[in-house]
Order: sequence, then C-alpha cells, then structure tokens
Amino acid sequence: MSVDGEDESMVSAEEDSSEDDLIPIAVPVRTTRATRSRTSAAVTVDKSEGFSSKADAKASAASSKKNARKKVDSSDDSNGEDFQDITGYVSRSKFSHKGRLPQGANKIEFCSRCRARFTVKAGTTPATDNSGIGLLCAACSGGSSDASAAAPKAIKKSSRRKIQKAEVECQVPSLQDLCIQKIAGCIEDVEAFGDISDISMAKICKIICRNRSLNTDTIQLFLDPRHTELSLYDCTDIEAPGLLNIAQFCPKIRSLNLIRCGRILDETINYYTEHLTELCSLNLSGPFMVTDAAFIKLFEKVGEQFRQFCLEHSYRFTFKAVTAVCQSCPQLSRLELGKCTLMDDEWLAPISNLTGLTSLGLSYPKDAGKGLTTEPMVKLLLAVGSGLGSLDLEGCVALEDAVLTEAIRPSCVRLERLNISGCEEFTTEGVAALFTDWKVNRGLSVLNLRKCIMLGDDALNAAIAHSHETLDELDINSLEELTKDALVSLSRCENLTKLDVSWVRAMDDEVLERFVQSNLKLEQVVVWGNHRITECCPTRKGLRVVGREGDYVTLPFRRF
Amino acid sequence: MAQATESEYVTLESSDGFQFVIHREAAMLSGTVKNMLSSSGQFTETTEGIIHFRDIKAVILEKVCQYWYYKARYLNSVTEIPHFDIEPEYALETLMAADFLDIFILVHEKLRV
Repeated sequence: MSVDGEDESMVSAEEDSSEDDLIPIAVPVRTTRATRSRTSAAVTVDKSEGFSSKADAKASAASSKKNARKKVDSSDDSNGEDFQDITGYVSRSKFSHKGRLPQGANKIEFCSRCRARFTVKAGTTPATDNSGIGLLCAACSGGSSDASAAAPKAIKKSSRRKIQKAEVECQVPSLQDLCIQKIAGCIEDVEAFGDISDISMAKICKIICRNRSLNTDTIQLFLDPRHTELSLYDCTDIEAPGLLNIAQFCPKIRSLNLIRCGRILDETINYYTEHLTELCSLNLSGPFMVTDAAFIKLFEKVGEQFRQFCLEHSYRFTFKAVTAVCQSCPQLSRLELGKCTLMDDEWLAPISNLTGLTSLGLSYPKDAGKGLTTEPMVKLLLAVGSGLGSLDLEGCVALEDAVLTEAIRPSCVRLERLNISGCEEFTTEGVAALFTDWKVNRGLSVLNLRKCIMLGDDALNAAIAHSHETLDELDINSLEELTKDALVSLSRCENLTKLDVSWVRAMDDEVLERFVQSNLKLEQVVVWGNHRITECCPTRKGLRVVGREGDYVTLPFRRF
Repeated sequence: MAQATESEYVTLESSDGFQFVIHREAAMLSGTVKNMLSSSGQFTETTEGIIHFRDIKAVILEKVCQYWYYKARYLNSVTEIPHFDIEPEYALETLMAADFLDIFILVHEKLRV
C-alpha cells in the first residue's frame, strides 16, 4: 500500500509546516502521482500571494523536479543516450524520459469535482469550478450543480480489501461449482446430460479447466471414441489412470493437446506410443517427469506421420531427443520448443534439416549461459527460413542484429508472423534495416516487438512503411523510446485489429483519438501504464480499450 | 445521479422470448449483468433496464434467476445453507450460462467513486 503510505507521509509533512500564513499545496502529490517518484517536497507559498500564484508555484515545482532529475542523469535525453548510460536495473515506475514530454504538449490535470484525470490540450484553458481554484474536466464543466461534492467520500471507504473479504466470507457456492459438482456426481450416466454439440463440449471443457475442476472423474465427459482431437487445458488433477483413459477411450486421436500435464509419466507416453497409432500432432506443456527415452521411443514409432510437435516447460528434453525429432519426423511442419532449460546452440544444427517447417518457435532458451546465439541462429534460418510463415524467437536475449539483417531479411520471404519479443539486443538500426525496402516479403500480419527495449522511432516507422497494409496485430509493449510522432504514424495501418501500446509513455489521448477515427478495424487497444491516457478519452463501438489506469485505480486526492 | 430514477426491478429476456422480472439487487450478483446495468455509457441496458440474452434458454435463465435469489437469501446468513439442486439434464447448459454471467468481478471492480 505504497500509495496510502505516500499520501500519509505527505499529510504529515504538511502538518509539520502548519504556520498560519502558509498554505500547503497538494500539487507535488498530484504531479508525482503519474511517475511515482519520491522527489516531492512540500511546497508552500505565501498566503498573501493568493491563489493566483498557484500556476507559478506549480511551474517552479515542476522545474525544481526537473533540476533534481538532471543531477541524476546530466546528459541530454533527446538523443536517447542516457538510456544506454544506465547500467543497473531501473524500476520501470521510476524510470522516465524527459523527452517523452515534448514542449507544448498536453497536460494531465485532475478534475476537482469527479476527481478523474483529464487532458488539457496544449494552448487551451480548462473550465474552473465555482471557487475558481479547481479545474474541471469536460464532462463536469458541462454539468451543473456541485452539491454532491461530499457524497463520494463516504462510499470510497468500501475498499478493495473489504470487498475481497466479503467475497471470501460468503459461503454460498458459486453456480459454476454447483454445476460441476452435479456433473461430476452423475458422470457415470453421461446420457443424462442430453445432446451437446462438440463446440459446446470444447467450451465446457474450457470452463471446467478454468474452475480447476478437471480430474479423473470429470475427464470422462470429454472422452468420446469418435473424436480425433482432444484439448485439455488443465491436467493437474488428472491421475495416471485418467491419462491412460485418453488412449483407451479415444484411440483415433490425431491431435492431442495437454496443458499442465505434470503428472504424465514415461509409462503414459509409452502407452500412447502403443495405442494412439494415428497421432500426428502433439502439444505438451509441463511434462516434467517424462524423460528422453520415452520421447525418443514415441518419435521412432509414430514420428513418420508427425506434422506438429510443441513442447513447453520441459527440463528433461535433451539434445538427443531433438535429434530424434529431426530424424524421425521428416514431415514436421510446426515445431515449437519453449522454456526447455537445456536448449542451447547445439540444438539448432539438427533442426536445420527440417526443411518442411512452416512454423518455428524457439523461445526462452536456458537461463544460464548463452542460450541461443547469433551465428548458429543465422545458419538455421538460412537453411529453413524460406518456408517459414511464422517465426517465434521470444526471449532469446542473446540474439543480435545479424539475425534480422543476414538471416531473416534474405531468407524469410514467406514470413507473416514474427515474434521477437524480449530480444533485448536488437537495435533500432537492425530492425530498420530489416524492414527498409524488404521487397521479397509481402508484408507481415502479426508483429510482436514487445520489450525490445532499445527500439526507437525509426524501427517502428520502417516496420509500418513495409507492412502497413497487411498488419493485423502489433505489440509494441514497453518500447519506451518511442515518441508521439511514430505512434501517430500507426494510423496508417488500416487493417490493424489488435494493438498493444502498454508502457509506451508517449501515448496519450490525442493519439488514441486518432486511432479511433482512422483505424476503423481496430478492435482492441491495450494501454496498461499509459499514464497520459485518461478516462475522458473518446472511444467508439466495437473498440475495447484495456488497462486504462483510471478504470482500475483510485487516485488519492485531497481537497484543500 | 442518473440512478435515482431507475426502478427496483430489471427485466431479463431469454433467447426464446420469456421475460423474467427480478429484483435489481439479485441480478447485480452477476458480474456481467452488473457491468451491463451500471456502465457509464448510455447503453440501452442501462437506461431501460431490459437485458436480452440471445444464448440462454428460458429454462436455464429461470434456474439462474433462482440461483441469484438463493444466493441473495443466504449471502451473509449464519444458518445452515440448504443445497441448491440442478437437474442433471440442465447442468452443462447452466454451467455455460453461469460462466458467461458470472465473470469474476473482483479484478475488474471499478473502485473509482
């Protein structure tokens, strides 16, 4: 509850300096709210100057803050060098660019009546309330009375914790639990549930998994000998016999997707190897207990027909198993290995034999050591890149620009989905070089640049210039270097449906308003940590704005 | 406040045209309904207090309404809570409806006053 703590310390600081002719001004609290830096010293002004000097006081407070920050990093922010100067970890909430607030930009103010934040457009003056002190947002200045000023205070006390407490104390079981209990109770008599379509069944499976109620009993509901596909999203509670039941009841399964299957054993995989003779797509997440031997046996027996193999969170999948995949599954078109702690450069050589790949994912290689490095990755992509429609290199932190310019650019001509999120070594120049005049590629539909923290405006501009017609989903989460100019140019992407601009601090109401007007296909904008987006920003039907700060957080505001 | 004019009851309409008029408080136990009725935008659900559920049949919606009253009745009671029975033939569909209606609201609870 750092928020409350800060607020209280502020109050006590003001009380200490309670001389009669000094009026405490709450400005520092409010201006520091957005960045949560703790440079705020209680600013007081002489009463004789009156409230007219408030603006000056605020300006001086802001400039003193700026000075304080200048002492910390005395370089000029506009060239972006200071970011590289920072060697240690800087908490994101405290980190801030001066450059992201260009001169003459819009200001964020707090409405004195509804306490919502709102944008004061550059060069305009907002309406004030009756006393002439507090500023009013557009919604309130249109309204009339301010008799209800004291009313909200009382309700505010119903804090989040209280609601949570009430929810915990409430002993009435939820309707979902009741239904699942009922289903589990009469699982033997499946006919009693009546006819349910396969689509509904898949949905019910998701619901039951979300309620974490899938177990050896309830799994029976989803085992139908006619099915060729099975997806179970939470296998935590299914015991060994339940997992064996999958192969016993559904021998025709071609595609098997098991998430959180920590209880799956070598014996289970061996049993699948023997009985699921038509299996051609396997997706496992978290098979901690399964060893190499079982995987190798599986690939040797049914690998011939395998089209798809995805594995996540495995600590026992070794180089030997990768070699087995690559030798025994010549038809493999999709290979995804994520968070396999043993993954390193050695693995890439055998994978380069899989020339039929259309989708390749190698994400989060081993934490210790180098993981996947540039040179072997370039070799791999030059070998298999021409067929790839989708490439996922999420979290490969050691990769450098050469992967983009020497491998992806010349070889990945069919690429439509590119995910390089978390590849922190990629630079603006590298990404710009990839996209500038990349004529062999017809344009990406999905681009994920999340947390490639070095990327600046030029990278995004080049990507937009190349793919603005085709781009459907774009993720630029945490690219703090971006400025408003680059964000505005996003409105060229006419077909964009999903956009994540979280933690891009330059994002503000004006840019969002432009998206609302020009990107008519946009369905979802994610704006976590965009403190310059206020709840007064216009939106339109069919567009979801996720993560606006004002929708979730009560901003402390003291009347004065 | 706009809420001053709103009535004590809301109308829920099922996919096959049955209307259920129930107490607003009971319906508000559902996260989805609560969001629909208390949204700050001028949606027809908010202004007229009628909600159409195009995916929920009358038998299921009736069950759900019964559950809301059951929950409202025993929410903070100290007496023993009787069992709420669901017919097995409706269990799956009720589960789907419940999932749609009862999105976990704590996370999205709007705390701004």
